[in-house]
Amino acid sequence: MTDVQDKITPVAQSSGGVVATLFRFQSVFGLIAVFVAAIIFSPRKNGEILFISADNLANVVRAVSEIGIIAVGMTFVILIGGIDLSVGAVLGLAAVGSAVLMVENDWGFLPSVVLVLAIGLVFGALQGVATAMIGIQSFIVTLAGLQIARGLARIWSGGQGVAISYGDGPKEAPSSFAILGERTFGGLVPIPVLIFGVVAIAAVVFLRISAFSRHLYAVGGNEKAARLSGVPVVRVKIAVFAICGLLASLAGIVHAVQLNQGSPNDGIGYELDAIAAVVIGGTSLAGGRGSVAGTVAGALLLGVLNNILALNNIDSNIQLLIKGLVIVAAAALQRLRPAS
Amino acid sequence: MRSLRIPLAVTAVAALVLAGCGTTSERTSGASPEASKSCKGADGKYTIGMSQANVAEPYRQRMDDDIRAAAKDVPQFDVKFADAAQDNAKQVADVENYITQQIDLLIISPNEAKPLTAVVKKAYDKGIPVIVLDRKVEGDAYTGFIGGDNVQIGSEAGKYVAEKLLPSGGNVVELKGLAGATPQAERHQGFMDAIKANPKIKVIADAGGDWLREKGQAQMDALLKANPKIDVVYAHNDPMAEGAYLAAKAVGREKEMKFIGIDALPIPSGGIKAVEQGRLSATFTYPTNGKEAIAAAKKILIDCGTVERSQILPTRLIDASNAAQIYAEENPTG
Repeated sequence: MTDVQDKITPVAQSSGGVVATLFRFQSVFGLIAVFVAAIIFSPRKNGEILFISADNLANVVRAVSEIGIIAVGMTFVILIGGIDLSVGAVLGLAAVGSAVLMVENDWGFLPSVVLVLAIGLVFGALQGVATAMIGIQSFIVTLAGLQIARGLARIWSGGQGVAISYGDGPKEAPSSFAILGERTFGGLVPIPVLIFGVVAIAAVVFLRISAFSRHLYAVGGNEKAARLSGVPVVRVKIAVFAICGLLASLAGIVHAVQLNQGSPNDGIGYELDAIAAVVIGGTSLAGGRGSVAGTVAGALLLGVLNNILALNNIDSNIQLLIKGLVIVAAAALQRLRPAS
Repeated sequence: MRSLRIPLAVTAVAALVLAGCGTTSERTSGASPEASKSCKGADGKYTIGMSQANVAEPYRQRMDDDIRAAAKDVPQFDVKFADAAQDNAKQVADVENYITQQIDLLIISPNEAKPLTAVVKKAYDKGIPVIVLDRKVEGDAYTGFIGGDNVQIGSEAGKYVAEKLLPSGGNVVELKGLAGATPQAERHQGFMDAIKANPKIKVIADAGGDWLREKGQAQMDALLKANPKIDVVYAHNDPMAEGAYLAAKAVGREKEMKFIGIDALPIPSGGIKAVEQGRLSATFTYPTNGKEAIAAAKKILIDCGTVERSQILPTRLIDASNAAQIYAEENPTG
């Protein structure tokens, strides 16, 4: 919109602003709409609306937290115009790693978690190196990464799920680890939800206060222009994939502790759920446009949708269909969004 | 605009998170729930939740179908179905949702034991009777378990090979199920123990087929190239046995060897038909227990009775002599 138009048609401009806002808030409005619909369509028992029972809402956010943590990392990658298909497999590798280190190797809580997080970070960084320095498309790099992480998880676990039981004896994980899972912080928030919340807020804040944010959007918007204007493109890319790997690893630790097991088959297909959350959140797959807050709303939207469909016992095949249509609808809305 | 959008989204998230807080306390009454608690007799209406590990497997689809068919004869029952698509975390959420819905009885076929144990206990502690099918959970927080014995099935298969197919010895290749799955380990163990009876039988190679027909076929392609003499293919399920048969047929070697599988599903694409049509020499039934689960539910909810803690259904050998007859028995309506 040019200056002249601004002056001539202030009314049109402001209504354009409203429309633009609606699109920017797409996933938040979507979340509210799905939330309201869920209340309306919720089954009732003895006058109680089951969907908004506190237990149920806690279940919703708890179920969303792993995908949510991964999706935050995925948002960074997609913002620079990449994709990370390895996150589900890295989650599996981290789940296996936590279980093996603590149960079979009798490591303590802290060293195990630190090593597992480091593995995710390095794994992600290496994928970043392959993308940024060798110039292989991230789709291919992380497709290979998916296979490699899955293979490593199978080797590390001996192909078996490693059960985690808690205690101070040998072949038992330290009791402190259990705190991450079932128990709640101060009797209020389930710990996985708390971790998801901290990750999301940290990512939002990080994107608002650091110069890294400008670099991120610049690389995603136009890589060549970013390079010419002095953005350290290679470093940004490596950092982004490292963050994504780190968060996938964190989600894997949460996964293992919630399920009391690390299995090499954990997290199959989670990358697709994470990408769906990012897309519903309004982040453009072309890069350069989107937000972590949108992704969080997108993940919650998917969680509420999953929950209300399940509470109504909608056939699982129909559930897939509905979720597919929601993703297409979110992507279609993106196409209609006016250029900002 | 940018400054507005993030706080708003964060508020929305916070609202949702806070709304979800505050009630994680459990009703942990010391007394273990007994069947009578939920029993309202023949006049009651009951909602049963069935949590399936993965409906994409034909065996598990048949399990759901058997439950559906058996429940049709009990007008008081309304059975809901959930599919975890092989994801432990999803199955935990499915059971949580059933608890929210306040179902009267839970039937669950767990994807894996350890991850599902806690949530099954949670349901049981809330007074919901739980029938566990096919794969176990840990501990004793369930009402009854109904399943087959995979070690015994593997052992029957091994005995059949040692006594009937290769009494004078020979080479066996084994196509295994998904690594990490208990049935895979048990079907292997039972088989290996049983063929020890005949020391002239050698397992010359094995490969993982992940329970899948196409994977079984691809693995068999390689095994055929590497091994000039194969006498018996032992697959951990019928689809992999069928895949192996197709691979052998493609290189004209299907007559040199015998194929055996496990599961014997009484469906057109299942193992019983494959035996009847001569592609497989034998298969071993692995009952879905669907009918038995509904019978147990009826005992608990309508008859106010109790059920056995553990009900192990025996396997049956299906070969050319009885395949057609058993298929007809299992599908009375045709």
